[in-house]
Amino acid sequence: MKRQVTINGRSVEVEFEGKEQIRFAHRAPGQPEVAGEASILEVEPGIYSVLWSGRSFEARVLLNAGKGVVDIGPHHYRVEVADPRELAAASTAGAGAGRQEITAPMPGRVIRILVEEGQPVQAGQGIVVVEAMKMQNEMQSPKQGTVVSIRAREGASVAASEVLAVVE
Amino acid sequence: MFRKVLVANRGEIAVRLLRALRELRIASVAVYSDADRAALHVRMADEAVHIGPAPSSESYLRGDRILEAAIATGAQAIHPGYGFLSENAGFAEACEDAGVVFVGPSARSIAAMGLKTEARQMAMEAGVPVVPGSEEPVRDLGRALTIAGEIGYPLMLKAAAGGGGKGMRRVYREADLAAALRDAASEAQRSFNNGDVYIEKLVENPRHIEVQVLGDKWGHMIHLGERECSLQRRHQKLVEECPSPFVAMRPDLRHAMGEAAVRVARAGGYYNAGTVEFLVDGDGRFYFLEMNARLQVEHPVTELVTGLDLVHWQLRIAAGERLSVDQYAVRWNGSAIECRICAEDPDNNFLPSPGLIRQIERPSGPGVRLDSGVYPGWTVPVEYDPLLAKVVAWAETRPLALDRMRRALAEYSVQGIKTNLSFFRQVMEDKDFRDGAIHTGYIDQWLRTRPPAAEDDGCQVIAALVAAIHSRRAPVPVAEAPAGASPWRTQGRERVLR
Repeated sequence: MKRQVTINGRSVEVEFEGKEQIRFAHRAPGQPEVAGEASILEVEPGIYSVLWSGRSFEARVLLNAGKGVVDIGPHHYRVEVADPRELAAASTAGAGAGRQEITAPMPGRVIRILVEEGQPVQAGQGIVVVEAMKMQNEMQSPKQGTVVSIRAREGASVAASEVLAVVE
Repeated sequence: MFRKVLVANRGEIAVRLLRALRELRIASVAVYSDADRAALHVRMADEAVHIGPAPSSESYLRGDRILEAAIATGAQAIHPGYGFLSENAGFAEACEDAGVVFVGPSARSIAAMGLKTEARQMAMEAGVPVVPGSEEPVRDLGRALTIAGEIGYPLMLKAAAGGGGKGMRRVYREADLAAALRDAASEAQRSFNNGDVYIEKLVENPRHIEVQVLGDKWGHMIHLGERECSLQRRHQKLVEECPSPFVAMRPDLRHAMGEAAVRVARAGGYYNAGTVEFLVDGDGRFYFLEMNARLQVEHPVTELVTGLDLVHWQLRIAAGERLSVDQYAVRWNGSAIECRICAEDPDNNFLPSPGLIRQIERPSGPGVRLDSGVYPGWTVPVEYDPLLAKVVAWAETRPLALDRMRRALAEYSVQGIKTNLSFFRQVMEDKDFRDGAIHTGYIDQWLRTRPPAAEDDGCQVIAALVAAIHSRRAPVPVAEAPAGASPWRTQGRERVLR
C-alpha cells in the first residue's frame, strides 16, 4: 500500500505491507530511500509500539480525516495522509483552488470582525474573533486573497463548522 | 472541624478539594451543571446536587442555588476553589449571613482586594512599592492622555476588576492610547461586568513572582515563599515553579518579598490562604500587582516544596483552628515545577479543543503528582475553561525537577482531543528556560521565533509510517457516550485504589 504523507510541511512517500511485521519503504525527495522491516503493534487505541533496527518507539497518533498529529517522545509531527491515486484525481479536477471558507471550529460567540468585505488579506491575517471556552480565538485567513463575504455578525452565537467568512 | 463541606467548583480543582476532604474524613457535597453530570468531581463526591444548565452564569456562578444546596445537604462550609465564586464578596457575605462558613477570607477582605485600585492603595499605605500609575479608574480619553503624559510610555491598561489577562492592553505610543482604552474597557465590561480601566507604567520584560501567605483568624500570619509564574502566554500562566530560579540566587529577596506580602495581607485584615503577586525587574526591584484572595491554580508547587497541604490548612483555618506553623519553621526543600495541561491545539494558535477523550496514559513514578479532572470516556465541555490537568514534578534540585517533568510529559498522553502536551515537551528543552532566563513575554516571543526542534530521522520515518498505517484503519465509531454509561469501568476501580 502506498501513501503520500505530508510531515511537518514536507511531502514523503510511504509504502508498506504486512500486519504486525511490516515491510516498508520511506522515500523523501533528495534523500536516500529508507527501507526495512519493523514490528508495529497498536497497543492501545491510537498508540503504537514500534520496534525497528534495535530501537523502541512509542508513537501516539491523532488523525481526523487523514489529518492530525503524531507524537514520539518529545518529537511532535503535524501529518496529513493521502492516497496518491486520489491526489492525482484531485489535481486533474482542479479542486482545492480559489475559494476558502473560514469556519467556526466549535460553538462560540463572535466577538469582533477584523476585516471588511472586499478587503485584501494576507495568509495568517486575523479575520474574525470567536470566544469559546472562555478564550478569545482569532480565526485566520488560510491564504492570501480577498474577503469576498462575511457571514458572521458581531455578538452572534455560532455553531461548530458554521461559515464565518469566505476568502478567495 | 467540619463534618460536611460543599465544593462549589468543577474540574481538576474540585477533584483536588474532594481529595483533601476525604483525607480529613469530612463528608463532601459536589454541585454540577447539566454538562457535568458524568464529571469526575461528581463521581468522587459523597453527595451531589444539580444546580442548573451548562452555562456557568446559570450554574457555577449561581451563588443562591449553591448556598441552597449547602443548607439542604447540611454542609457546614463551602470551599469555592478558584475562579467562579471564589472572589465574589457578595457570595462570601451571603454565606456568612446564612451561617455557612466560606472557606476563604472575610467578605470585607475580598471586597478590598478585589478592586485593584483599592488594593494598590492599601499596599502603598503598608509601605509596599507599587508600579507608578493612575490611582483611580480612568473614565475618559482626556484624563487618560494627561496621566499617560505624567507617567510616560510605555504603558499598561488594566481592568480594575480584572484578572487572567482580560481587559489588558500595552500602549507604546500616544497615538494608540484611544483604541487601546476603548478595547480594554469593552473587554473588561464583557468579562467582569465592570468597564473600569486604570493606567500603569509598563515594566519591560518583567518577571511575575508571587508569594503565598497563610493566616488564621487569630492574627497569626506567615508566608510560604514565592512561585515563579513568568512563563505565560497572553497573560495566562503556563508553567510555575517553586522556588523561583531568580529568587533562589538572591536569598535576601525571598525574605523581603515575603515580609512585604504579609504586610499587604495584614493591611487587608486577611485570613486563610492568599497570594500576593509582584512584578520583578531585572535588578530585583519588586512592585505589588494584586492580591488573589483564594487558592491559586499553581498551589501544588508550594505544597511539594514546603511539605504543607494548603487545602488542609484552608479548612482548618476556616473551622477556627490556630495555624500552628511559625515562620521560622517553614523550610523550602528541593524544587517543584507545574505544567498546565489544556485542551488546546498548539499547532493551531492554541485554539480550544473540546470533545471526547478516548484514552489517557498517566504519568507517575517518583516525584510526580497529577491533579487531573478528566478520565477516558469523558467529553470535555465547551462551556468551561480548557484546563484538563496539572502535572507537577519535584526533585532535590531545579535541573533534576525539569528533567523529571520532561520524563513525566513523555509518559503522559491524552487521545481523542488536542492538548498542549507537545508544547510543554518543547519548552522543557529550551535553553533559556533551563537557565531561568525568562520574563512574562518570553513565551509569546518564543512562539514567534523558536528554533525548529532537534531532528531525529528515525522518529520522522516512524511517524510517517505509523500515520500511514493508522489512516488505513476505519475510524472507530464512537457514539457520544451517554452520561454515566462510560465503557471505562476500570477507572472507578483505579480511583478507589488511589
